[in-house]
Amino acid sequence: MSTAPTVATGTGRGSSRDLLRLGAQKRLKRRILLVGLIFAVLSGLLGWRLVELQVMEPDRYLERGLAQRIRTVTLPAVRGAIVDRNGVDLALSVPRRSVVANPGMIEDPAGAAMALAGVLGTDIDVLEARLSSQRSFVYLDRQVEDEVADNVMALDLSGVYAQPEQARLRPGDGSALALLGRTDIDNNGISGLELIYDGLLSGTNGEMIVEAGLGGSTIPGGEYRVEPAEQGLTLVLTIDRALQFEAERLLADGVEAAGGKGGVLVAMRPESGEILASATVTRGDDGVVRPSTEHKVATWTFEPGSIMKPLTMSAILETGTAAPDTVREVPDSVFVHDSDFKDSFPHGTEQWSVADILRQSSNVGTILWAQELGEEALYRQLLDYGLGSVSSLGFPGEARGILTPVGKWSGTSLPTIAIGQGVSTTPIQMLTAFATMANDGRRPAPTLVRGSLDDGGVFTPTQTGDQIEVVSPGIARSVVSMMEAVVSDGTGTQGQVPGYRVAGKTGTAWKPLAKGGYGEDRDEVRYVASFAGFLPAEAPELVILVVVDEPARQTYSGGRAAAPIFSDYAQFAVRQLRIPSEFERTGLNQVGRVMATTPARAFDLQAAEETALAVVG
Amino acid sequence: MTAVVRPAGRSEAYPDRGTRSSATSKVATSSRPAFGAMGALTVFGLFVALLAMASLHSVLVSGQFEFDALQDRLEYGQERSQVLREEVARLESPSRILSAATGRLGMTPPPNRLYLPAVVPGDPLRPLPGPSENPFSLRVR
Repeated sequence: MSTAPTVATGTGRGSSRDLLRLGAQKRLKRRILLVGLIFAVLSGLLGWRLVELQVMEPDRYLERGLAQRIRTVTLPAVRGAIVDRNGVDLALSVPRRSVVANPGMIEDPAGAAMALAGVLGTDIDVLEARLSSQRSFVYLDRQVEDEVADNVMALDLSGVYAQPEQARLRPGDGSALALLGRTDIDNNGISGLELIYDGLLSGTNGEMIVEAGLGGSTIPGGEYRVEPAEQGLTLVLTIDRALQFEAERLLADGVEAAGGKGGVLVAMRPESGEILASATVTRGDDGVVRPSTEHKVATWTFEPGSIMKPLTMSAILETGTAAPDTVREVPDSVFVHDSDFKDSFPHGTEQWSVADILRQSSNVGTILWAQELGEEALYRQLLDYGLGSVSSLGFPGEARGILTPVGKWSGTSLPTIAIGQGVSTTPIQMLTAFATMANDGRRPAPTLVRGSLDDGGVFTPTQTGDQIEVVSPGIARSVVSMMEAVVSDGTGTQGQVPGYRVAGKTGTAWKPLAKGGYGEDRDEVRYVASFAGFLPAEAPELVILVVVDEPARQTYSGGRAAAPIFSDYAQFAVRQLRIPSEFERTGLNQVGRVMATTPARAFDLQAAEETALAVVG
Repeated sequence: MTAVVRPAGRSEAYPDRGTRSSATSKVATSSRPAFGAMGALTVFGLFVALLAMASLHSVLVSGQFEFDALQDRLEYGQERSQVLREEVARLESPSRILSAATGRLGMTPPPNRLYLPAVVPGDPLRPLPGPSENPFSLRVR
């Protein structure tokens, strides 16, 4: 059985209450509707905003989000070191910090400048000016020592930071500075080998892209990409640090003793053309002789004087004009074109062989033979020796020297050029010419770089230039024999090295004046004294050229000013290079090699041994 | 006053517990624990999975921290190596040794130098023998 619900009805006070209740219900409904509407509108707006963010322009917000998390760090490539032939560091980059500031964040520039001045050792006014700058980044001091950077950070100055950088240092102070060159503050090569091999030394910066959190820590599993920096290669030079240092020291002492204005000493291995030492010294305004910043071995030209005579003699022998023992009459002077040429010492008319002429360094005898040789043959021979053209060094600012073409020669060109005047050469050209004679007539290509080393220690040797045969081996050996007599019994006796047979030649050249000519009277004449030689004469392993610019009048000759420097240096060098003396070679039935004491030497010996074994095999 | 309307046949549609058949009762009693066990297992499995994920994440985070720390140490080591390399080169440079010898140690260059041969006289291929003992090592008695 079902029961229908009953509805209570009524009138009077009860019905008015019902009306009130109905009104309240209506208002409630309206409010609910209104709130619902507001919610609907808000939801619509939110929905629209979501569509806008997620659909219409999502990339913008994705980028903003990534920009907050993704950190791109540049991985700087460290500039490669420059090492000597034995792997000793000559120049290398080390981490340093620079003190930088954001002036906008500094409230009290004067106070900050005062605090920093004591630590950095910089003038307060300079620092205050930088800290008051309108820029957002200023350097206060660059590449300071770690201790200084730590002290600056300890000051806890707002807006002052330490920024890591690389500084280029040369542990040997000023040694080989002219050769190595310099870099600017940003580690770009600006001179010397630093400039020539800038591309090889610089390397390429890398990049690390990493997703980092608030504290800078890496978000695990996040974006992490590394493109490693390609470090600069290490440049391995042919220079030997000990030989370089001793060359600079002995040359400075020698120039000081000779009262010279400056000097050059350069040493080379004749077989390979490797330069072992290249020193340039100059007398400063304070009168002290010290290593120069200019690599004059390649950039300076001078009239070589009598060290040219072996080159002239080799042309005379090579063309068959004369033999070493061919004798001719040599008077005290000879008149050519419009000039009178004399020897440096008075003598009567002598019967001298070609060897005697070289031993006595006779200008007259050389000129007489050169006239028989002829202009064209002499010119060609000098060109073959490398005069008048830049060497294979490729050094910035390298000079060509002056060797005028035969067509432009005057009536006195032949006699003057034959004795080394009226022609200018660089020290490296003359050294290479002497190395040619020491190398059985084959001209080596001078080089300063053995090769490069990469990060993994893989060595890549430098391509060396081809050797050019200038004179036949027999003629070269004849000239060497004649030059031996110069040192044993001629003008170069002070170039002797105890225990070793030395071949060499002295040179005493007149130096051209700025106004032209060589000077009218004796007081005005300036000299360039030189000595070029090699040892052991029987199997040359080391060629050395010493030039003293403007020695004092008492010691102006090559035999007095330059030969003693050669001797002192050679005595040191033969020990350093382990070149056996004549005594040590006694009984030796093969090319003398004693022992390998340096890595470079060991490398040479190992290569030679492997070649020999391959031939035998 | 509210009236309650109930459909007819209440006793059939809503049987009392005591009137249920024994078969229905058996099914109910056997499926309930199975669902409960499965639910518990699922919850447990989820918990274990979450725990494993949390553990893996913590391992990942600590690994990342370690990696970052090693990277920092590597960079520091490389920088330190460069600094020490420069210091070694500076300390062994001939100019520093010469200035220390002639300055701080008061040494003077000898007037003459005596060079000793490095090879057995007459046999250039054989170097001179070294000292029998290392003269620079400390001997412990």
